[in-house]
Amino acid sequence: MSTVWLPCGHYHQNYEKDQGWWQTPLIKIKMVLLLLVVFVAIPLVLPGYWIGVCTMVGYTIMGALGVQLLIGYTELITLGHGAFIAVGSYTATILVLHFPWPEFIVDWGLAYPISIVAAALTAGIWSVIFGLPCARVKGFYLILTTIAAQFITVDFILTQYVSKIGGRAQSFSLPPGTIQIGPWEMTGDVKPYLFMAVLVSLMIMVLSNLLRSRVGRAWMAIRDNDIAASTMGINVYLYKILAFFVAGAMAGVAGAFWLSNTAAISPEHFPWFWSLWLVGVILIGGVGSIHGAVFGSLFMVLIMEFLQMGVIPLSEYYPKLLFSFAFLKKAVFGLAICAFLIFEPHGLAYRWWQIKNYFNLWPFSY
Amino acid sequence: METLLSTLTTGILIGGIYALVALGWVIIYKCSGVLNLAMGEMTLIGAYLSWSLYQAGVPFVLAIVLTIIAGIVLGILTERIFLDKLIGQPLLAVIMVTVGMAFFFRGTICFIWGTDTRVFEPAVFSIEPMHIGFLRVTPVFLWSFIVAIALLVALVLFFKYTRWGLSMQATADDETAALSLGVSVRFVYSAAWAIAFITSGIGGALLANINGLNISISYLGLLVLPAVIFGGLNSVPGAVVGGVVIGILENLTGTYLNQFVPGGIKQIAPFIFLVVFLLFKPYGLWGWERIERV
Repeated sequence: MSTVWLPCGHYHQNYEKDQGWWQTPLIKIKMVLLLLVVFVAIPLVLPGYWIGVCTMVGYTIMGALGVQLLIGYTELITLGHGAFIAVGSYTATILVLHFPWPEFIVDWGLAYPISIVAAALTAGIWSVIFGLPCARVKGFYLILTTIAAQFITVDFILTQYVSKIGGRAQSFSLPPGTIQIGPWEMTGDVKPYLFMAVLVSLMIMVLSNLLRSRVGRAWMAIRDNDIAASTMGINVYLYKILAFFVAGAMAGVAGAFWLSNTAAISPEHFPWFWSLWLVGVILIGGVGSIHGAVFGSLFMVLIMEFLQMGVIPLSEYYPKLLFSFAFLKKAVFGLAICAFLIFEPHGLAYRWWQIKNYFNLWPFSY
Repeated sequence: METLLSTLTTGILIGGIYALVALGWVIIYKCSGVLNLAMGEMTLIGAYLSWSLYQAGVPFVLAIVLTIIAGIVLGILTERIFLDKLIGQPLLAVIMVTVGMAFFFRGTICFIWGTDTRVFEPAVFSIEPMHIGFLRVTPVFLWSFIVAIALLVALVLFFKYTRWGLSMQATADDETAALSLGVSVRFVYSAAWAIAFITSGIGGALLANINGLNISISYLGLLVLPAVIFGGLNSVPGAVVGGVVIGILENLTGTYLNQFVPGGIKQIAPFIFLVVFLLFKPYGLWGWERIERV
């Protein structure tokens, strides 16, 4: 999927403009409006519950961006991304709770932000460890390695060992006041939401800048044909490892963010289902575009919310519907993946691209 | 010594069930090239169906036969609805459609039957250990092994001597040549899924007799992956050997390593084995080597 066609009369005179972010005044207005909606309108207008839903969308986007980088841009299919999110989350938790922070850092509320950076690095390195076999294996074998990463990390190391640090049985609870950024304590609905919006914007910015640089072009070359890429002088192995590192670091940030939206961390927050959910999200959104991760997250989270709203009136007649809603959700998710793969294999982002082109070229599609 | 021997026997006996499910996986891969991640959920379907039938008063043998028939129907339906449209699509699409199927099956099963552990009541096989020579064997393991091996032998005979089995072998060997000789490849695909549903369903029913039936039976579907990797993705004897080896490995680690590494080492050992094995011999013992290095 290339960039959007420009409306009649707009054309690029140099390469720099062609790679620009906001290419026409219309796009600039649209993006400023979008930012206004995200940062101002949603926190002011929406009720608390729906702000929570939006936070969930953002958390999904953060996870899905890493998966998109691995699957959509480098064709390293991963079905174990939840493990890296879990690693980030646990690193941040342990650092915040158990690291002997100097007094002034806690006073300035810097413990949590520093932990986020540390979590990103740890998750990146953890991801690289499981990415190392990609030197020798491809396709299905790599998928198996990532599945193994999920089970070794979450079901074994985290459940059996890390969760028991400090004599705990199952989960780390986060006492109020520990999760603090500068003067703001992460409570209520709006503060985590705003923090999420900042993080998501930053991550999208970083990823799209990476993708239009030398690194991103190398990744895409490897995706399209790795043998051709290596004959052109791209160090395929190095760039694949780099992709694992960046995706892992993004997962680490996502996991560390999760602390500000929850009161306790337990391995049950990062099941294999969550890894597969993220892959499903980018499949529905569209593989190989950042829009895809965003649209997929929006679509899946909102669809599930609407489904729940639809089920509540029905549950009066058939209470099992609400009682086992989690299972219904899984079944619908599975069907949605299958339906998108069969009927709309390019995902929502492709449809969006077509719509934009239609209006850009209207009334004369040249 | 006695511990070692009984651990090994249990490993081999339970490995027979793994081998059966692994065989179903390999048949799908060989015939249609689909890497199936829905195997665990297919075992669940078979296990719950046979349990429901048995609880409704149907004799166990008849319940197994009915499960086989349901497996054939479901296999053909699954292939026609989900996979027929995706022939020739990239790896990601084909794998994720099986993941989608897995979620659909699992959600539906949980919705219908819930997540409580069920047991076959009255017990089909006795759990009182008995002695064969100096070995101590639990009959439920032994009978499960016998049923699994009987089904394996039946399948091997099916592939060797029947027209359908031979056409499936031909398709697995060279799809284009089989097409030009008048083999209906679509039929072969459906047959492969039907066989996979049968083997996994029976495997699930047998394992449910041993462990009790709940959603964690679908763990069998993941355990199949180390087994088939060990034997080689497209090798039928490899799948059988791999299943038995994984069964032994699981029981050995459960017996001997559990004291050093407490927790779920028994469940996780096959996956650690998988990662290490992939590093050294990614194509398994008898798999076709593809020169596809990075």
